[in-house]
Amino acid sequence: MVASYVFYGTWNPPFAALLFATTALDFYLGARMGAASEPRARRVWLVVSLVVNLSMLGFFKYGNFLLQNFEGLVGLLGFVYKAPHLDIILPVGISFYTFHSLSYTLDVYSGVIKPTKSLRDFVLAVSFFPQLVAGPIVRAADFLPQCVKAPLWNRDRFLWGLWLMNLGLFEKVVLADALLSGSANSVFGHAAPLCALDAWTGTIAFAGQIFFDFAGYSTCAIGAALCLGFQLKDNFRFPYAAVVFFDFWRRWHISLSTFLRDFLYIPLGGNRGGAGRAAMNLIIVMFLGGLWHGAAWTFVAWGILHGCYLVIERVLIGVFAGKIQASGRLTQVFLGLLTYVAVCVGWVFFRAKDFSTALRLLHSMFNGGGGELILSTREILQVGIVTVLTIIFHWRLKISPSRKRPAGCPAGFSERLGPLWAAPSS
Amino acid sequence: MSSSTFNFERHVPPVRWTQIAVFAALLLMVGVVGWELHCRHAGYAPTVNDSMELWSARRCAVAPDSVVIIGDSRAWFDLDLDELEKGLGKRPVQLALSGSTVFPVLENLCNDEKFHGTIICSVLPVMYFVPAGPPLKRSQDAVDHYLHQPLSERLDLPLAMFLEQRLAFMNMQELTLEEMLKSLPIPDRVGVAHGPNLPPYFNSMNPERQARMIERCVQPGPLQDLVRRTWPPLFTPPPPPPGVTQEQAMRQFGLAFEQRLKASVSAVERLRQRGGKIVFVRFPCSGPLKELEAKNTPRERTWDVLLRATNVPGIHFEDHPELNAFECPEYSHLKPDDVAEFTRRLVPYLKASL
Repeated sequence: MVASYVFYGTWNPPFAALLFATTALDFYLGARMGAASEPRARRVWLVVSLVVNLSMLGFFKYGNFLLQNFEGLVGLLGFVYKAPHLDIILPVGISFYTFHSLSYTLDVYSGVIKPTKSLRDFVLAVSFFPQLVAGPIVRAADFLPQCVKAPLWNRDRFLWGLWLMNLGLFEKVVLADALLSGSANSVFGHAAPLCALDAWTGTIAFAGQIFFDFAGYSTCAIGAALCLGFQLKDNFRFPYAAVVFFDFWRRWHISLSTFLRDFLYIPLGGNRGGAGRAAMNLIIVMFLGGLWHGAAWTFVAWGILHGCYLVIERVLIGVFAGKIQASGRLTQVFLGLLTYVAVCVGWVFFRAKDFSTALRLLHSMFNGGGGELILSTREILQVGIVTVLTIIFHWRLKISPSRKRPAGCPAGFSERLGPLWAAPSS
Repeated sequence: MSSSTFNFERHVPPVRWTQIAVFAALLLMVGVVGWELHCRHAGYAPTVNDSMELWSARRCAVAPDSVVIIGDSRAWFDLDLDELEKGLGKRPVQLALSGSTVFPVLENLCNDEKFHGTIICSVLPVMYFVPAGPPLKRSQDAVDHYLHQPLSERLDLPLAMFLEQRLAFMNMQELTLEEMLKSLPIPDRVGVAHGPNLPPYFNSMNPERQARMIERCVQPGPLQDLVRRTWPPLFTPPPPPPGVTQEQAMRQFGLAFEQRLKASVSAVERLRQRGGKIVFVRFPCSGPLKELEAKNTPRERTWDVLLRATNVPGIHFEDHPELNAFECPEYSHLKPDDVAEFTRRLVPYLKASL
């Protein structure tokens, strides 16, 4: 716990106090909720927790965004209002630790866990340094039980944890930063139309970069936690081998998608209110999921686009029920590549700094030529090779990765080293 | 509602972990030693990397009455801190940044209410008046990094410098994976727009950020030729962007020039109000580069204008035969053997100007 606070404090010491305040408040609210016998009282404490946590997140992360939009809105109504720019420092990891802490009061309210009596355990659960600043979003219900009994040191688990940390660093430092980020930055930072090859290369470079960056960090976090004897669940499971979008969201940032499913989609009614209501719920969830990633309308557009993908897919699955599952390998690969391309189109909105950049890039991707050539042949080859290998690996490893020898991996590799090969699932 | 209850145990593969760990450690050791030997054989020596972390640390070392060197790579290569300390009575802090526009650093020091010391500012007109692009970004990034540096990076710097001074392969200018991939001989498609290439590794640096040209570049040979060839594209203004005529581009540049001039006057004025002092220095260059600079940024339209507008004393190497007596091996910087002598000759002019 002390190490976690020192880790956080090395970024900006005063903000460690904010982290503790959020944690202590939810600990208190959880205890009050546990002590309350009336459902109404429990609901009041939950509302207090939601309002305080989300207000904190809203102020630090969305303060300026909300003010700018308010300025634009009153401008549309004919009023002149110049919003002040708030000089707010965004606390590192606030989106993650707010959800860590919030998951506790939500799970206590729904009866999944009983309120913990140990503030120390809860402080550790929220601030545990491997997952503190970039996830995965670890639910209190998953972490608190592990604090009851101090984990015993185990050599094999420790070395496996070290291996995972190495693998995560490789994904982040070599694949994301050294091999992919340069092309993505050049393409998304270019202020003029590009030729289709360059536009696509930059986009798929970003698709790979964000995966290896995020999955690499998650793998490091899982490995670091394992070295200390704690278990964190997988956050990515070969997402670029997803055949459909529902499959993609079961494989991409799993800790966020399950959080949103359990605490937003299902309380909104989930699938229970008919197809129209379910579609609306999906769009709402993906809208908020997009906004969670950043305070800009481009993130919202990314979220809504994925919401639309999911709704359209649900309609199509209704029409072609059973046929996709029964279809051959080739159809599966075709659908997988189609999903990958659509996901890449979504990444354009996610990465572009504004809508004009996103639309210019999409135009370059689909108009067939006429723009500038800015990437060297070496960069195109580099991105192409990494992307093709990533997709092949994802496809080969997505089925029971830890037990079967992936096709094509060396003979004798299966039982002993197969799991090392398959570890990127984290 | 929630599906999450703790029932998860990560599968640890049943392999011989001890043997794997020993094998991995041996492999790592052999790899590191082999790579280090290869890098030294290829002509690299341990050197401190010119990182933003180090620059920020040196900026933090600026005391209210310090003597500070700012500017481009010429101030970085061509000044000897020992000689300046002997001549001026204070050891200067070296903040010059290669390939940069000095203005953001100058403005940062002039806006620093605590600072009332002395600034030795290298002015290379082609860099000083750049309105945008990588040279401006480089120094702006350095200032931003100094203003927002996290504590973790300050703690990390001593370890990084300890390793960099002992291991040649930690050279970040050329020996990162990214830089090595860039040097692969893969021909480009026709029509690919390239920015000018930056010079290859040709200097070392000490923890005080004092740079020196390496011997392979001092002597005639392929490295010296390569460095010489990188200057003309870097010292030639780029063509106007698509859709902008040459006249429009010149007009825009003229406006940006005037803005930079006004901002310089204002920054220098703020420094002087607090009792601070500043001197502009034009460092030597040679050969075709000297001619190119004279053609693209004529003295009477850049250096003289800046001095007149800001009323800052200036030392131009061409005005003093003893400063103009040095040849730059790769046309742009002094060789290490000349640096101390050049600085000794410069000190009287600095004292007279300050």
